Amino acid sequence: MPKEVMTRQAADNVYLHKDFHGALSRGIDYLHQQFGAEAVREYLWQFATAYYAPLKEDLRRRGLVAIQEHLERVYRTEGAAIQCTRTADELRVEVAACPAVMHLRSQNVPVAELFHETTRTVNAAICDGTPFAAELVAYDPATGRGIQRFYRRPS
Amino acid sequence: MISCTEFIPAYSELFKYLHAKGGEAAVRDFWNYLSDNFLGNLKSLAEQHGIRGCWMYWSHTLNEEAADFTMELDEDKGKFSIIMHHCPSKGRLLELGHITPYPDYCGHCDVLYRRVLEPLGFECTADLSRTDRAECAFWFRKIPAE
Repeated sequence: MPKEVMTRQAADNVYLHKDFHGALSRGIDYLHQQFGAEAVREYLWQFATAYYAPLKEDLRRRGLVAIQEHLERVYRTEGAAIQCTRTADELRVEVAACPAVMHLRSQNVPVAELFHETTRTVNAAICDGTPFAAELVAYDPATGRGIQRFYRRPS
Repeated sequence: MISCTEFIPAYSELFKYLHAKGGEAAVRDFWNYLSDNFLGNLKSLAEQHGIRGCWMYWSHTLNEEAADFTMELDEDKGKFSIIMHHCPSKGRLLELGHITPYPDYCGHCDVLYRRVLEPLGFECTADLSRTDRAECAFWFRKIPAE
């Protein structure tokens, strides 16, 4: 049987490996089992504070439009649409179905019990140290359907 | 939601978090857990198709990860190799100016895949000496049954 060779350059493909959602879900489950729920939140807070530092700075500088643009880009990349309603002091984001949760369900990969913290805690950490705060108003663990709210903290 | 395009920094930061909790052993424990609980697809393909199963598994993952690589399959010799010219994961981490990758970030690949394939009778060899340039190489050989 002849040798088979496959050579690819980065530009040959689009970077979108949805199975990574499964690795994250497993990671969250592992932290939950080994170290407890608070460790999941602590890890996600630390990650979000470090990784989204440029977004936090953009939020301070431009306000809630920075969050809206970020979330629209993220969900569009994953092939999902979101509905955003924004004023100067509040941004409401409606997600019909979370593409991460839907991918996990389609692959029969378990969705971590605390998977919603990848939204709730991450959003809160992004807003920490800015004039804004975040809350996860509604969330359906079956589909990831939910409502995220960002708002200016009362002075 | 953390997008799958943002997963790699989340993964690296998870390794850092675990290291702070329990040192290198805690990170290794997690890699073992992930190998046992997340790589069932690789295991099934290797069990069903032998060395070709490796080709099938990485044909899917490396293309979705938009990697810069050369894979070679020689079924007659039971050999499969991946030469990673530029790893998209480590490459992204190195490009991020505001966070530092977990120092042994690339070690997870060797641990995860070896743990699946060695019990199935594969010999696994890795060259991780150039991961600071997002380059690495893996060689797998199906050891013939006695």
